[in-house]
Amino acid sequence: MAKRIGIFVCECGTNIAEKVDIDQVIAAVSPLKDAEVVERHKLLCSEAGKDFLKQSIEEHGLTHVVVAACSPKQHEVTFMNACEQAGLNPQLFQLANIREQCAWVTPNGEEATDKAIRQIRAAISRVRYHNPIEKKEVECSPDVLVIGGGIAGIKASQLLAAPNRKVYLVEKTSSLGGKTKSFSKLFTGMDSGLSLMEQELESLKANENVEVLTESEVEQVLGFLGNFEVKVRTKAEDEELSFNVGAVILATGFELFDPKELPQYGYGKSDDVYTSLEFEEMNLPGGPTGGKILLKSGKPPQSVAIIHCVGREEKDYCSKVCCLYSLKFDRMLKSQLPQAKVSHFYSDLCLPGKSYQRFYEQTLELGIEFIRSAKTEVTPNGKGTTIKYETETGSKGESVADMVILIPAMESSRDAQKLAEMLKLPQDGKGFFVEEHQLLSPVASAVEGVFVVGCARGPQSISESIVQAEAATGKILSALVPGRKLEVEVRTSEISESFCTGCQTCILVCPYGAITFDEAKRVSVVNEVLCHGCGNCVAACPSGAASLKHFTFRQIYQELKEVLQ
Amino acid sequence: MSGENEMNDKEQGNPVLVIGAGVAGIEASLLLANSGRKVYLVEKTSYTGGNVIKFEEVYPNMDCATCMISPKQQELLANENIELLTLSQIAAVSGSSGNFSVGIKKKARYVDLENCIGCGACYDPCPVEVDNEFEEGLSKRKAIYIPCAGALPNVPVIDTENCLRFKEQDCQACQETCVFEAIDFTQQDEELQLKVGAIVVATGFKSFDLRQTTQYGYGKLSDVYSAMEVERLLASNGPTQGQITLRNGEPPASVAIIHCVGREEKGYCSSVCCMASLKLSHFLKKKLPEVKITQFYSDLCIPGKAYQEFYEEVKESGVDFIRATVSEVSQAGKELALKYATEDGQEKTLTADMVILNPAVEPGVNSTKLAGMLNIPQSEDGFFSEKEPDLTSIATAQDGIFIAGCAQGPKDIAETVAEAEATAGRILSLSR
Repeated sequence: MAKRIGIFVCECGTNIAEKVDIDQVIAAVSPLKDAEVVERHKLLCSEAGKDFLKQSIEEHGLTHVVVAACSPKQHEVTFMNACEQAGLNPQLFQLANIREQCAWVTPNGEEATDKAIRQIRAAISRVRYHNPIEKKEVECSPDVLVIGGGIAGIKASQLLAAPNRKVYLVEKTSSLGGKTKSFSKLFTGMDSGLSLMEQELESLKANENVEVLTESEVEQVLGFLGNFEVKVRTKAEDEELSFNVGAVILATGFELFDPKELPQYGYGKSDDVYTSLEFEEMNLPGGPTGGKILLKSGKPPQSVAIIHCVGREEKDYCSKVCCLYSLKFDRMLKSQLPQAKVSHFYSDLCLPGKSYQRFYEQTLELGIEFIRSAKTEVTPNGKGTTIKYETETGSKGESVADMVILIPAMESSRDAQKLAEMLKLPQDGKGFFVEEHQLLSPVASAVEGVFVVGCARGPQSISESIVQAEAATGKILSALVPGRKLEVEVRTSEISESFCTGCQTCILVCPYGAITFDEAKRVSVVNEVLCHGCGNCVAACPSGAASLKHFTFRQIYQELKEVLQ
Repeated sequence: MSGENEMNDKEQGNPVLVIGAGVAGIEASLLLANSGRKVYLVEKTSYTGGNVIKFEEVYPNMDCATCMISPKQQELLANENIELLTLSQIAAVSGSSGNFSVGIKKKARYVDLENCIGCGACYDPCPVEVDNEFEEGLSKRKAIYIPCAGALPNVPVIDTENCLRFKEQDCQACQETCVFEAIDFTQQDEELQLKVGAIVVATGFKSFDLRQTTQYGYGKLSDVYSAMEVERLLASNGPTQGQITLRNGEPPASVAIIHCVGREEKGYCSSVCCMASLKLSHFLKKKLPEVKITQFYSDLCIPGKAYQEFYEEVKESGVDFIRATVSEVSQAGKELALKYATEDGQEKTLTADMVILNPAVEPGVNSTKLAGMLNIPQSEDGFFSEKEPDLTSIATAQDGIFIAGCAQGPKDIAETVAEAEATAGRILSLSR
């Protein structure tokens, strides 16, 4: 079919016309092959300009359109929409940026005019090879898989579950509640974490749209936003469940750094050296001491040392919440044992936010000692322990304590690695899942439709974990509306079956996990729903099998040829 | 059952009001709008992006903040479900969750958003020159202006306090230059009445007023700067195009950064300043590799998985960290002298060409007035209070009203964005 290309040059008031001689441009491009009509307009993005563009497309039966105007950032969508409204596939359009890339940056008028002509010739040459790629929509499931039944997973499940949205909450242990249920008190309100969890579990039970699968592990998650195929193995019944979901939330929590790795803290060597979690459990009414703070001897301690930052140097990060919960420990200790001497050994107090300094100051009033120590050592002394410490400036000191509470760093959960491999999620050097964007997309992962909340993405407080669960909910409810289809990127890459040698280089460089290997045919295959059209695979493919649908070699070559000629 | 349906009908698809078009307001608006909700985004200034667009680079990856957020701002302007009301403030609020009535006062821009293409031809002929607030007064602007290059919407505003026409003089300089007839002095301030189902408060922060402290010489000693002033000096679209210079035009050979200015007065840790100080050091070292930098701090608060590495990198680049309280900054010849006391009681002095003060983070202007209209309690420092502090920071004592970002308390960009997304989560989950 004969090509009928329309070329529209925008004056942009004086912005383009002041530098670029529009008459000369029109004279230069009018004789070009297939140039059906060449027009100028004072301001093509105005309502009158868009109407003029639409009328011209219809009147001249244009098959392709080139607009020479401003940056595509500004008005590419505007002009593509106008093409579509005039019945022309919007992919058969090309914008030449003769404002930002020409008129505004080229002081000499003659040079600017010459440059504009080259840019427009390039656009004409390129648009000739554009294909009318059709928009695609896919059906999607509104259901959600939540992995991890701690506070974050429970909160996300409650918010998401609705008559038109089912939530599968998978927990590997036999009960929900995560670490929060072991906390007899929460900072700063000193309410019981256990009671909070009991309430949460009651309301979860009442929600018929949540299916809770305890003692279960996710064995497979395959697919993409809107369409994940999930397999879960339940241990109790030893069966494999299969279902589809539209999104996945990882809320796999944390573990504590094992203080046995650092013998200087005496953990395991001295009876009364505890980790923070062990101390939390001691305070639970149903715990081994019935909620009483007691030494192994059965006596209450008279002096307690709290040692901060155990494992911080080894992990190379600050675990953020330890200073705060150690202040909570002070209050728990002082309320049971008002006479006990409590000393902190710490390097920096990290109390970020509007209310924590006050929590600290009020705790200080209970008579708590704070010793800034760069190096702390715990040794058994027969009766209890001796704590040797050294300040930043090198002065040394010594103190004794009946009970030592170590505050270890928070680590990523042991299951993180396995889940990362299954979901193709990148982890940072510390084992935490990496965000889609650390600042602007903190709860989304590198895989679209998979979200990471709470301590699975790094140390967080309970309130931060809940906020992140709510955030993932926001992202999911925004993207997966029941009954609505998902529009997918059309300018994706494709891999030619006949040229592909099966080297799989493309799979390594794809940041979206959009390429899989077809073992039967021994070729790489692009999943067009996952592909964002970044072009990594095209650049990396050694055999020229990968190409981008809107950036073919031919299109780029034709464009460059005209610019450089 | 009928009661539940009634509530669903009431809340289903109700529009949402978002107050503040900084990074939190933008994120909340986009998520809500993309789900199909109508959003009214009310912003008191003439532009979107809030404080974040003042930062050339943000920690820990040193992303260009303006570039990072610009696609979101563009998406916001293009989204048909979002009605952006700039130069607008809340005047009255009544009703309850699912059924709020909100009065808005919208100031005239005097430049037509449709006709203006943002070419900037109108600035030159304007005869008025005043301090540019966006640039912390480090440069001048005209009475018709955009705050900085790259502001969105890229449409200027006429400042009626300084424009000669509003001082009864017959100046038409800008109007005569504009070939698009975009300047329209017939525009009037408007009062709008909105019906919304839920409200998101994302009014951000301002910095502690450094003039309230006297010991550091801010406002008196010319080379004592606020952190935000230095942010603008470092910005490529700022008053010096990214050149870091003293008032005499020379680059500093030595810089001292003082943490926690105002912490004692405010009684809280502003949570982001340690990292912001580290970032300034990192950035200064990049621009001026030979510069000697000393940081004065009391406790380093660098929470989170990625920050310690950043700290170590900065430390290795040759930045000194001194745990001490600075008691006085004074002029000592061409340099500034900092008197400080270490924790073990030693009194010392250090000299530097430039002193940067890192002030506490405070709630945004007019927070108290807004809190009153919304009937939300505030903390004693004026931050909006959350209903259950240990559980989630975004829900307030008023059903249907949520808070995100620094309106609730000092926090970083990632936490702010997560809270914004969380408000969208709570609002969208209400309607089912």
